[in-house]
Formats: sequence, structure tokens, C-alpha cells
Amino acid sequence: MEPLTSYFAVSAILLGIGIYGLATRRSAIRILFAVELVYNAANLNIIAFSRLRDPPIVTGQVLVLFSIALAAMEAAVGLAIIILAFRINAEIDLRKLTRLKG
Amino acid sequence: MAILTSPLFFKIAVFPGLTSLAIIAALVTWLDRKVTARVQLRIGPSYVSPVGGILQSFADLIKLAFKELIIPAKADKFFFVAAPVIGMILAGGLVGLIPFSPETQIANLEVGLPVFLAFLTLSPTMVLLAGWSANSKYPFIGGLRSLFQQTAYEIPLWLSAIGVVMMAGTFDLLKIVEAQSTGWFIIPQALGALIFLITITAEMERIPFDLPEAEPEVIMGWQAEYTGFLFLAAQGAGFIKLYVFSALFATIYLGGFLGPAPVPGLVWTLLKTTVIIVLIILLRGSFGRVRIDQLLRAGWTLLLGLAIANIAITYIIIQGIPSI
Amino acid sequence: MTDLAFLAFAFVTVIAAILAIEARDLVYGAVSLGVSFLGVAGLFILLDASYVAAFQISVYIGAVVVLILFTVMLVGPAKGDGPMEFKKASLFGAVLISLMLGMAGTLAATTSFPGREVCGSGCDLQLLSTTLLVDYGIQLELLALVLAAAVIGALTLAKAEKKE
Repeated sequence: MEPLTSYFAVSAILLGIGIYGLATRRSAIRILFAVELVYNAANLNIIAFSRLRDPPIVTGQVLVLFSIALAAMEAAVGLAIIILAFRINAEIDLRKLTRLKG
Repeated sequence: MAILTSPLFFKIAVFPGLTSLAIIAALVTWLDRKVTARVQLRIGPSYVSPVGGILQSFADLIKLAFKELIIPAKADKFFFVAAPVIGMILAGGLVGLIPFSPETQIANLEVGLPVFLAFLTLSPTMVLLAGWSANSKYPFIGGLRSLFQQTAYEIPLWLSAIGVVMMAGTFDLLKIVEAQSTGWFIIPQALGALIFLITITAEMERIPFDLPEAEPEVIMGWQAEYTGFLFLAAQGAGFIKLYVFSALFATIYLGGFLGPAPVPGLVWTLLKTTVIIVLIILLRGSFGRVRIDQLLRAGWTLLLGLAIANIAITYIIIQGIPSI
Repeated sequence: MTDLAFLAFAFVTVIAAILAIEARDLVYGAVSLGVSFLGVAGLFILLDASYVAAFQISVYIGAVVVLILFTVMLVGPAKGDGPMEFKKASLFGAVLISLMLGMAGTLAATTSFPGREVCGSGCDLQLLSTTLLVDYGIQLELLALVLAAAVIGALTLAKAEKKE
């Protein structure tokens, strides 16, 4: 199998696992895990394509540097929201957090 | 069969790899106790001959290896055992990146310095897991304090190392040493070297930054529940880090293996590393303990500001005064 | 040799990702997420992106995993939801992934990708730093501003619950 196809396959499998986690998990922290997996799948894909295209370019690495920083920020803010939600509602089962007030 | 005699295997297994790392870690432990004792007007280890009790740490190693391994009943067994061992492996793995001499470097990566610092950021995770897995109050509090301390001092560490990168123009540790052939970096980077020294002392949780292990407060902190072999791993990781960080300091600030000709480069590196190790041990005997809030405030505000000022000063040095 | 390394890293990444989603205990899940990130960093190194790999290790594992870990330890529930029994939700999830992977696989199989071995200017660290700082310098400054906004936002959120 060509190298790009195998990297693409790994990234697609990670994406699939991430979306499975997003679709079937109730706990908010578990969903955060799944979102981070999706981020990683996308980053891996971008680096693989940028390295294995016809003249390899470095722009993919630049984009991934930005993406990693943004993903970390998003995780931090998301965790702050989860902590708040846990303090107010005493649980983070997403099916039960249906009210915005609080 | 050929792999056993290949130079890479020799480098990994004997020097500067596993065997010599173990022996050097034991010697650093002995040096720590001896120098601290002398500073405190004591004698230190002296019974286990032949000279100055130098075999004391080997005797301790044998004793700890045979002690009973007690795991608390409700502890998370996997992380309790895994965390200090992985911490020690991480610390020991870092020695592969340091150029002790042009031929004795295990892995010469183009991005040697960022990889070194990246693996450094993994150690707070291990400490947090170790503290949490003991399922006990004091180790957990100690683990949290250690996490906050190590995370707070990582950024000044990175920023002060950036000053060296700016002057050398490369991340490669071998090339950084070779770029110092016109002058060691410690002279233009005096502020950066000072910040680096302070932050590595804080990263290793040595006095004066050893609040996570302070006896009157948290009774050895995250290492409180460890006995036997795991205690050896937890303590050994600290001394391996002392050796590896001092070697890194010698490499990026003191010119590594550069030195006048008749003495081989390898000996120069080890000599400079020993000087820095003794300096850090002297800090132990000379200062009191810093309180946790003073520590964190200093890390996040004072040292961060000084490190950024160091980058500005380095820029001016490189570009010359008219560029302001 | 590279094939073996690729298979090892890919295997570790995928297995750790599955463990992260399925493990009952959230701490185990967070740590296996960290292992998955380590596998992805290894794949980056195989793709000649060593600086990005170092960045990934220090930011993702050194910061995000630590953040998740002490959130779970201090505030979080003791156990998240574990592997689910066969329900409509997991059926839906499985169908969704199969569709996605099927699409991806068909796309990959019918496109011919070049398998470049020579890297040239695509792996040059000097070029990476020049591109990042010169060509995308303004975006870098904007990223710093977004980071500052995120930090202020997180601090405000953390303070808000004390004001009630």
C-alpha cells in the first residue's frame, strides 16, 4: 500500500473512533476525549498530505502548529465549562443537562 | 550477533547509556549527601569504604532492592507501580540527546532541544498520577503542589533556552556546542543562564523549591507511600534528572566538550557537568525553603518577565545597538 | 524498518484511542488518550515533522492531558460511562463510522497518491520557521490574542461560580 494511503487510513480510523465517541457517549469529559481524537486525526491527515504530495511543502506543518495550539485552548475553555456545570448540576450526563438556566 | 558489537549498542548499553547512567546516578546521590554534609559542617557518609563512603549509595541500592514492596489497599495498583518507573525511564532517556563528545551522542536530532524540553513536560503528569494513585491525602496534596510547581517553571525554562537558540541559530545540540567555539554562551546569556539554573532546580524539586516534599507539611509529598524498589525509582529519577539537567546546562551554556586539546572532550563535558551538579547541591545547603505561593508567583511573574527580558537583550546583542 | 515503526505507532494510536473512549475509569481513559497522542507524535516524526511532534508532545500530553487529569481527579465524577450495551445509540454510531470509513477507503483506493521519498524543501526546519514567522506572522499574533482571550475566559468562568 502506498504510504499516503496508510497514513490516510490511520487518520480515517481515528476520525471514526472520535465520531463514535461523540455519538454514543453521555459523559461530557468522554466527549472531550472524542473531540481531541478528531483534532488529532485531522492534524495527522494534514501533515501526511503536506509531506507526501508531489513537491512536499511545509505549509501543512505551519497549519498543524496553529491547530494544536487552538485545540489546547478549546480543551481548556471546555474543561472550565464542564467544571462549572458539574458544580451547578452535580452531574455531567449530557442527556440530563437540558436547561440553560443555572 | 553483529548488533552486540556495534557502536550504537555500546553507546546505549554502556556509555553514555544505561550502565554508566546507573553508576553515575549512584555517584551523584553520594555526592549530594557528601557535599550537603560538608556545607552543614558534618562528615556525611564515611563508613562504606574505601574513600569517603563512596560505596554508600550502592549499599543503599542493594538494601532498597530487597525491601518489602507495600502497596496501599485501595491504591490504583497500575499507576502506583507504573508512574515512578515511567518517570525514571523518561529521565534516563533524556541522556541520549546530550552530546558528551561528537562521537558519544546516542541520538543527534535536528530538533534536539525541543524534544528534550518536550519530554520534560511529561514528568508533571507522572508525578500527578503517582500522587493520586496512592489514594491518600498527603501524597495527593504533594502531587498537586508538585504539578503546579513544575508547570509554573516550565515556561521560563523554555524561554531562557530560546536565548541560546537565538545565539546559535539552530536547535541541534551538537551544533549549539560547536557554535560556542568562539565563546561560551554563558557570558552573553548570563541572565538566561541564571534563570535556567533556577528553573531546573525548581523542576527537580530540590531545595529551595522542595515544598512538595516538605516533611513538616506533606511528609515526602507524592513519594510518601512508596517503599522498596518504587522508592528507589522515585528518588533515582530525581538524581538522574540532576545529572541530565546539569549536563544540558554544561552543553548549552558552558560549551560542552570544547576545551584545550590534551584533555579529551568527553572529560571536559563530565568536568563541567560535575561543577554544575556541585553548584546545585550547594544551593541545597545554603537556602531556606520557598513557600508555595511565593514559589508560584515567582515562577509565573518574575521569572517569566526576566526570561522575556533575556530574549530582548539577546536580540540586541545579536543585531547590535542601532537596530533598536 | 520504517514500515515496522509505522505499524507499531499506528497500532498504539488506534488501540489507545479505543481504550480512551471505552474505559470505564476516566483516569485510565485520559492516560490512554495521552498514549494515543504519543503515537500520533511518533507518526509525525516518521513524516519528517519532528518540530511539530515535539510541539504535540509538550502541548497535548504536557498540558491538555494534565488539565483533563486534574479536572477528573478534583471535580469529575468517579466513573464515566463504560462500554455500552447494544443499544440504538451504539448501532447508530457503528453505522456512522462504517459509512465514513467506507467513503474514506473508496476515496483512497481510487485516487493514486504519489509516495514521495525525497523531501527537499518540505521538511526544512529553517523554511518552517521562516514561513511561520514571516509569511504567517500576523496570524501568529492573532493566535496569541486568541490565546489570551481563552485564558481570560477560562479564568472568568472559574471565578464566576464563587460570585454567586
